[in-house]
Amino acid sequence: MAAPLTRADAEELLYREALYLDRRDWDAWLALYTEDCVFWMPAWRDETTPTADPDAELSLIYYRGRRNLEDRVWRVRSGQSVASTPLPRSVHAVTNVLIEHADAASADVAASFTVHRWDPRSERQHVFFGTYRHRLVRDGDEWRIAAKTITLMNDVIPTVVDFYSI
Amino acid sequence: MDLASLIDDRPEDGVFRVHRAIFDDQAVFELEMARIFERGWVFLGLESQAPGPHDFFTTTIGRVPILVTRDGDGKLAGFVNSCPHKGSRLAQTQTGNARLFVCPYHSWTFDSAGRNKNVKWKKAGCYAAAFDADGHDLARLPAFASHGGFVFGSLSADVPPLAEHLGDAARLIDLIANQSEQGVELVPGGVTFTYDANWKLQLENCSDAYHFTSAHPSYIRILERRREAPDASVTRSVWEKDAAWSEETKGVAGGSYSFPHGHVLNWGRIAPSDALPLYESVDRLAAAHGDAVRDWMFNMRNLTIFPNLQIAENASSQLRVIRPISAGRTEMRTWCIAPKGESAAARRQRIRQYEDFFNPSGMATPDDTVSYENCQRGFASRVEPWLQGYARGIGASVAGGNAFSDPIGLSPERSVLADAQLCDETLYHGYYREWARRMAGAGAA
Ligand code: FES
Ligand SMILES: [Fe+2]
Repeated sequence: MAAPLTRADAEELLYREALYLDRRDWDAWLALYTEDCVFWMPAWRDETTPTADPDAELSLIYYRGRRNLEDRVWRVRSGQSVASTPLPRSVHAVTNVLIEHADAASADVAASFTVHRWDPRSERQHVFFGTYRHRLVRDGDEWRIAAKTITLMNDVIPTVVDFYSI
Repeated sequence: MDLASLIDDRPEDGVFRVHRAIFDDQAVFELEMARIFERGWVFLGLESQAPGPHDFFTTTIGRVPILVTRDGDGKLAGFVNSCPHKGSRLAQTQTGNARLFVCPYHSWTFDSAGRNKNVKWKKAGCYAAAFDADGHDLARLPAFASHGGFVFGSLSADVPPLAEHLGDAARLIDLIANQSEQGVELVPGGVTFTYDANWKLQLENCSDAYHFTSAHPSYIRILERRREAPDASVTRSVWEKDAAWSEETKGVAGGSYSFPHGHVLNWGRIAPSDALPLYESVDRLAAAHGDAVRDWMFNMRNLTIFPNLQIAENASSQLRVIRPISAGRTEMRTWCIAPKGESAAARRQRIRQYEDFFNPSGMATPDDTVSYENCQRGFASRVEPWLQGYARGIGASVAGGNAFSDPIGLSPERSVLADAQLCDETLYHGYYREWARRMAGAGAA
């Protein structure tokens, strides 16, 4: 019988995701996700509460289906988006990784992140910070991301925020 | 500063030019705050942001914090959000409910109608008689009014009635307000972003048909990718059937209308289609308002109510409030605006379409705001100080309306009928004529 996810497994996967984003290895990043994945960054309802129902409330990003992430990757590769050309440099730091639930088939993992972003064009740097919640599912010998929720704490956006800097 | 020299407006010569200094000179900015924002009508919010007794919302007029609150009898009023004692801000959240506002600094207390209810330890305070002769209520906005649920206020009493300020642009607010019998609301979850450029770049961009295929090709291509392989996971688009934005489209594709006091609309023909969340009401709206009004509700429309309100109904429906911070920095508060009572499916579709296009985390707005910042860098030059972006359409602009405005009783001051490639720039003239008039010290009237 397959073993439940360990914290080491979770850290390995989350750190890899961060590395792929910072290396701009988009294909490796996309491959971490299931085809029907949910990728969700809520907006904030008020000073203290993020939005909770993506069908009735606004999100900063909400996609159901990996092809939407493939579209976002296509956009930054296309050279047809001035906001994405040249891409800013970033470093993701993922910490406080905890398993909140795990069984043989799935796991919920909580973590914190900071993303340091330097945009050479505007000579501006910014730190986005918040929490992640990953729902991971077993796919043979591997774990994949079935859902990722990004709660961005500092949500006054300096001009642009994209999937690669959260 | 010679403000008159910053707008070169010579209709008889076919010339309209704007000087780069209006975008990056901090002295110009200070005057804009004093003469445009703090001396005329400014959009504050929607009545539905404070729906019940004692509900409130906060905003700003220029640099001044504003509190809009509904009293126990349901009457809405606007106040300066600052305690008369030593100036502290009272309400500190964007929205809330409060029968009483207790000042966090020394506990002076005000009710939801702005009346002072308590000065802490008043008797023991050994005040002079002169103190009692002063009022201690919150400073009330000298002008406060709403149209169709859209609330406006002014820090100066020297303004015309709101109906006169809005003029026929009020009919364009009605096209939004009347989409539901219950009015409109903001979808929960506001999004705020900043950009390092002048506020008037946002003013102009909303009215800028010329940039769409240049700044947003990645968005347009992604709509094509989705159209080639539609499935339930991708959002449908208003543009998936209608090629109104396509440069190949022939015939009248839309145009622009300019109104007195700086309000403008640019629009494009969009046939009612089930890609639009409003489609579920297509028959009801025709029955209630007639075919002409109904068709206009489905057209793509970007409306600016000068100086700080924009409502874009194109990829989805967005309400934007422009908050200038300095000559080179602007904050945008944005919401998805929607008819109350629409079905859950329509609401979901509206939200998905909105996130994709309008968010600073979406696939279109960042390509606008980064361009504003590139412009702001370029404005530093005075080698050729005059900008050339106000000339398209001068040969097509006519006084009055046209065959599209007449059926809905809309009487603009000027109009342009455009094919897909005309991309009128004369509608900006409306902004800058009002800007010049107000900056010269004219009252908002
Ligand atoms: S500043 Fe409000 S009570 Fe003193
Ligand atoms: Fe744009």
